[in-house]
Formats: sequence, structure tokens, C-alpha cells
Amino acid sequence: MKTTPKNRHNFFFSLHKFSFILFCFSFLIFWTETSFAATIKIGEINPLSGRFAKQGIEIHQGIEVAVAEANTAGGIDGNKLQLISRDDQSRPDVAISRAEELCSWEKVAAITGGYVDSLVGPIAAVTKKHKIPYVASASLQKELTQNKNPYLFRVSKLQGFVEPLCGILTEKIKPQRLAILYAATPGSTELARDLESCLKKRGLMVRLFEKFRPGTPDFTPLIAKLADMKIDVIVSGGFTPDHILFVRQLKENRMTPKAYIGPFGIAYESFIHALGKDADYLYSTCVWHPGITVPGTEEASNSFVDNFKKMFSRQPNTTNMHGYTSAKVLIAAMQNVLNNGQTLNGENIRHALIKLDLVLPMEHLRFDADGDPVNYRHVVVQIQKGKLVVVYPPDRASGHNIYPMPSWDQR
Amino acid sequence: MWTTILVSGISLGSFYVLIALGFALIFGVTRNFNLAHGELLVLAGYSSYWLWKAWAFPFVLTFPFAILVILLICLGLQHLFSRLRDPIELNSIVLSFGVAILIQNSMLFFFSGNYRLIRIPILNQGFRIPGFYVSYGQLTLFLLSLIIIGILYVLMYRTYLGKALRATIQNKNAAALAGINVTAMGTLAFCIGAVLIGLAGPLYGCIHYLYPSTGHEVTLLAITITIFAGVGHLNGILLAGWILGLAESFTVVLCGSSWREMVSAVLLLTLLAFRPHGILGNGEG
Repeated sequence: MKTTPKNRHNFFFSLHKFSFILFCFSFLIFWTETSFAATIKIGEINPLSGRFAKQGIEIHQGIEVAVAEANTAGGIDGNKLQLISRDDQSRPDVAISRAEELCSWEKVAAITGGYVDSLVGPIAAVTKKHKIPYVASASLQKELTQNKNPYLFRVSKLQGFVEPLCGILTEKIKPQRLAILYAATPGSTELARDLESCLKKRGLMVRLFEKFRPGTPDFTPLIAKLADMKIDVIVSGGFTPDHILFVRQLKENRMTPKAYIGPFGIAYESFIHALGKDADYLYSTCVWHPGITVPGTEEASNSFVDNFKKMFSRQPNTTNMHGYTSAKVLIAAMQNVLNNGQTLNGENIRHALIKLDLVLPMEHLRFDADGDPVNYRHVVVQIQKGKLVVVYPPDRASGHNIYPMPSWDQR
Repeated sequence: MWTTILVSGISLGSFYVLIALGFALIFGVTRNFNLAHGELLVLAGYSSYWLWKAWAFPFVLTFPFAILVILLICLGLQHLFSRLRDPIELNSIVLSFGVAILIQNSMLFFFSGNYRLIRIPILNQGFRIPGFYVSYGQLTLFLLSLIIIGILYVLMYRTYLGKALRATIQNKNAAALAGINVTAMGTLAFCIGAVLIGLAGPLYGCIHYLYPSTGHEVTLLAITITIFAGVGHLNGILLAGWILGLAESFTVVLCGSSWREMVSAVLLLTLLAFRPHGILGNGEG
């Protein structure tokens, strides 16, 4: 085609138009890039519905407090944190798809949250594949961290329950006929086995070692069996609903053991509220509770309680604190990465987590080579007049344990 | 100990009966597989809990409210079910599954995820008969299951209405040809089912505990008992409940708690192998 002044004009006009569009596009890309740079995405997967909804929501709330605190303090190096929450519906298959979504589509820097090993395990497998660090909020099964997943870290571990339980049973309670009952879940089963082994080493025999399904509708036959065997101390590895039913049926059947210890699910205001006075004298373990905190962290603990109350208008519990701790750990590790002038990627966050040394209300947090917390340790509490009283270990005790517990008629 | 196990087995069986009756009746008459049964029962428990806790209503007076709530929902549910086309059973499973999720999440929203227990001290008390102890809770379950089964028996076998209901259970098309309004029978079954669920829910809240997602287990239990009894055999439900309750209780003592579900499953499979129409079924239903 022959070039005419008109054509040239059109050509230049088109070029200007093209340049303008290009400029706008570049600006848009630059603006989008800078916007992304101002936000760091943290993924969170929890059972917000289904059978673990209560615990999942509590962990989620703890994480929200930690993220809100960080953002109020100006974020990480001026970058705001964006929490992307997903519900795994208490189902492992859904947990996998949510983890894939966060890693592949949302491109989160790291993931936290998670309740029970059956949900934490699948999430950990996905994050390992994508090389994205995952700080699990509540997980106990030893196998999970021992199968060399370098991207999995967690703020709780089984041994934190076993040592104080073994200690109080052998040093203070000294039962004549002890029964260990455990729920058919990996965490509860491992706890029961480790506890039995620890007690055996210290010369205490377990008379009955029996498994039951969590959510069992009736404990009366088991209670009759315990009464027949003249069991005086019961350690039950069930969860909150199992304890509610078990204790109610102990009372119904007029059986009063000298002590009833439930490591999981008793040291909660909601449990005490549900059972009322019948909750008195029961033992449990607890790693944190308002007023029960790692010595020297009282100020941080109170600050968490205040912030939590502002956000959710109620007192936080130990599950909330697990969520808070896992998010705090992740935020601190990210902060360290940026402070060292490194890029915020999975590998750098992982290394920062390995080197982390952080004193928090729940624990003095350092991870071992497997990603387990070195200093996670529960205290044994007893419910006395509706309040949790620390009775073991002696250096953390705030009162004496009442043993044996009074019979149902004498209350 | 053995008498205690016997009492506990019968009490557990009676508890199962109360849980399963509403499901069995609705399924028997309408062939609608109501997977939201457990959620409805838990919702009835929550309704009762709310009145008892927030408004300090006496426990007994919370039953009418729980029944009313479930009745309204069941009528809505029946309207939805009535719009289904063949295959009714399959479509009703899909529909009621959706309803179950909706109810479950609504309960989670309104009542939170905390475990709730309706504490009625009198149910934990009891009396001693030489050799064993019976709590008022166990006695209530036992008597209530007998009374309800008795009333249902009279309704089903001593009234024209019951005759029409039984005819609908046995053969819907033949009943329609005989002039029975099967749609009205379906509505009636839903209403009676709602009353039974409304009675069982509050009891569930004080015998067991309330939690939004426990409905699934209740539904499974109701399905098991209904299959065990034979569809349409309300008397068989009492027998099935007691057999399962006793089997579970004795298994715990003789073999250990971990065998409990295994023995129930084996019992059910054996029954299905030798009596596929249920313990009292004769293949008519």
C-alpha cells in the first residue's frame, strides 16, 4: 500500500493510541505488583464446620487475634498481613483440596491452623509437595513429624502431656488400681501407650487398658466393669463429649473413683459450664489458661486475653491460644526473613522457623530437628469450685489437689 | 454386675427406640429416606435447651415447644418431599442431605459449637433394688419407650386411621386404589414423626449431649434400627433396640469396649443374611 500523509497520520495516531494503552497497562501491572508487595498472604485451614467445628473455630479465632495484632503494629516491614481462611469441614479429602487451593492458586507464603492429626497429616503432605512451610496449631501424632517432612512444624507434642501425667500419678496420686481408657484416635492411643510405658518404668501397674470409640453413646457397662474391678483411678483419653457422658453416668451409677483424669477436653470453661458442680474435683492437663501461663509472660498473656476479649467478647481458652501461638510463630519467622534482607519464600521461612527462639505465653518456642516444639509442657489442673487450680508440677502449682474426690452423695 | 449390665442394655435399647421411631414411621409410610432425621432430633434438643436455659422453663414444659418447632419444619420438609419424582428414595436422600447440612450449620451459627447438656438432677438419682441400682433416667427411658410404642400400637392396630397407615406402608398404590388418601397419610406420618422427634430430642439433650454435628450418628442409628426391625414394623423397633442395646452392653463387659460396634455390625449383617426383611419382617413391606 502506498504511504500517503493521511495514512502516516493514521499510523502515528495508532502508535500514540498503542503507546497510551501500553502505558496504562504497564501502570496497571506496576500498581498491582506494588499492591501485592504491600500484602503478605498467610493461609489458614481449620475445621470450621463438621464434628471438629468447635475446636476449629477456636483455633481460627486465636489466629485472627495474632494477625490483627501484627497488622495493628504496622504489619511485617510495612507489609500488611492478609489471612486467607479455608474450612476443611472436618474431612481429610476437603483439607487436601483446600491446601492445594491455598498453595497453587492463592500462592500463600505459609500455612497455619489445623486440628487433629487426621486433618493435619493431609495438609502437611500437600504443603511438603509445594515446599510451603506449615505450622500446625494442634497435632500430636509422633509419626507426622518423624516422617521427615521438612516443611511441617507444630506448636504441640504428645510428650508434653505424658510427663506431667506420669509425674502426678507416680508422685502424688499413687493409685492402687489404675485404668487407662483411650479413644480410638491416633493421638489418644499414642498418649495411652506412652503413659502406660512411663508408669511401668516407674513401677506402677495398669489394671485395665481399654479402647473405646469417641462418641460412644453409653458408658454404663464400662463403668460396671470398672466398679467390678475396684478401679480407684481412671485416666480417660476421650474428648469433651465423652467426658460429659462418662462423668454424668458415673454419677448416675453412683460410682466415685478416687480420681478421674481426662487429659483432653476438660480444662475448658465450656466443659465446667456444661457439667456444673459435677465437674468439680476432675483432673485435666492444660498448657495455658487465663492466669496459667509460662512464668515471665504474664504481660503478654494478659495482652492476648484483652485483645481476644475485644474481638470476640469472651474469655479465650487453651485452644484459642494454640491458634494464636502457631500464627505468632509464623509471623515472627517471616519478620526474621525480611529483617535479614531475604526474599519471603518457603525455603527462607522454613530456615527462619528452624532458628526461631521465641518466648510466648504458651511455651518457650524452639523447634527440634523434626519440627516439634522443644519446651511444650502441660501442667496438671484440678477443677475446684468451678475454677482450674494447678496442682502439678510443684514449681507451677497454685494449690493442693483434693484426693480422693468426695463421693457424689457427699457433695 | 450382670443385672446392672442388663438394666443398662435395656435402657440403652430404649434410648435407641426413641431415637429411631420417628425415622421408621416416616420412612415406612412415605418411603422418604430422611437423612435430616438426626439433625431434626438435635434441633428439638436445642429448642428445649434454649427454653430451659434462657427462659428457665421447667424441662417438661419445653417438650410442647420442641414438638411445635419440629412439626413446622417437618411440614415444610414434607412439602419438599411431595414434589419429588421417582426414584423417590434416591431423590429424598439427596434432598434431605442438603436439608441436614442446612440445619447443622444453622445450629452451629445460633447455638455455637459448645457442647450443651440439659442437666436434670432427678434423672441422675435412683433407687436400689437388691442386687442392682436403677436411675430415674434409665427408668424414664424404659417407660417412655414402652408408653410410646403402646400408643403407636393402639393407633396403628386399633383405629381406622392406623389401618389406612398400615395399608399405605404395605402397598401405596393398592392403598390409593382402595380409596385411601395416601398424600394425607404421608402428611400424617410426618406429623406423628415430628411429635416423636420432638419428644426424643429434649431427652437426647439430657441423656446424651447436644452438638450440631451429632445428628449424623443419630441418623445412622435410626437407619440401623429400622433395618434391624424391618420396615413398617413398629413393634420390631422395640425388640431391635433392646437386642442391640443388650448386645452392645454385654460385649463391652465380655470382650471390651473396642468390640462394641463390631458385634453390632456382625449382628446386623447376620440378620440381613438370614432375615432380609428384618427381625419381625415377612417381606410384605
